[in-house]
Amino acid sequence: MFLELDPLLHSQLRLAVMSLLIGAAEADFVFLREKTGATAGNLSVQIEKLREAGYIEVVKSFKGKMPRTTCRITPAGISAFEKYVAALKGYISPG
Amino acid sequence: MEKNNKNLVYIINLFIFAKYLNQTTMENQFTEKQSLELIGQMISVARNNLQKGMGPIFLLWGYLVAGISLATVVLITLLPAETAHNAYYLWFLMIFSFPLHVWLVRKRETERRVTTYIEKVMNWVWIGFIIAILVVVLGLIVDMIIVVNVTPDHPLDRAHEFIRWFPWLLLTPILLCLYGFALFVSGKAYEFKPLVTGGIVCFAASFFLLLTLHKTGVMGFQQLVLCISAVAGFVIPGHLLNRKDRRDVPRT
Repeated sequence: MFLELDPLLHSQLRLAVMSLLIGAAEADFVFLREKTGATAGNLSVQIEKLREAGYIEVVKSFKGKMPRTTCRITPAGISAFEKYVAALKGYISPG
Repeated sequence: MEKNNKNLVYIINLFIFAKYLNQTTMENQFTEKQSLELIGQMISVARNNLQKGMGPIFLLWGYLVAGISLATVVLITLLPAETAHNAYYLWFLMIFSFPLHVWLVRKRETERRVTTYIEKVMNWVWIGFIIAILVVVLGLIVDMIIVVNVTPDHPLDRAHEFIRWFPWLLLTPILLCLYGFALFVSGKAYEFKPLVTGGIVCFAASFFLLLTLHKTGVMGFQQLVLCISAVAGFVIPGHLLNRKDRRDVPRT
């Protein structure tokens, strides 16, 4: 039985962002950019898509003079991620 | 010249298109197996980013507690027995380190790019630890004020004196037990052995001080044990944390 993979998560960069956020209480934009190796433009587009879906929460603030974007996974994001992993299992396990 | 420019624009466009094509095909070729690998890889990245920039905070408190306790030992030895307890007023110097602590924490927050769940929980453990210490110290201060103001109406002055000061002898063992708890839990959570060792030293010191409560001249002795525990629990792990930060791949 093949469950449908959430198209929002079945994309390399968005999945990378979600995996990073599921392991962390919160992470800022620079951290996500460095760990995924994505360009700032591409990353902010993907983050915006995840935010629109309600999977992550984005807070813009200032630390000293530097602007800072902090991302956090939402409960909806966690359950979407769990569903995605469960669906993946269906593809990976034999039979 | 103009032809060259046109060529350049053409090449750039081609490059952008190739990159776009590469990106879209990469998304399409993204298999379920790669997807699982990516999840595993990214989760471990966030986990390895633990525990940076804690060293200076440990060193601030470690050197301060060790320094004050050592100075207290010296004062207690030098002062005549009736006024020796005044040496404890040195501990009010601790208040001045709070602004420095806040500054160090703020600095670390600015540099920090990610907060893990462990860090979040451990922050609350340390805040709980500070609250516990404040509760004990404030409780003893209030108790002392009450007891000092009660004039004994019977001739058992000695008992009155004893009740007045005895609770303060319990302070150091209680604090060491709390120190030990916070250090031990942090060390286990962050998988950093020197903190666990520091915690165990504090537990042992606390137990030892409870056993020696009845001895005379225990005031200076307690401070000396506190000094040793601060070195084992804060100064040594603090230096090791700094060294670990320098050795680890910088948090770029």
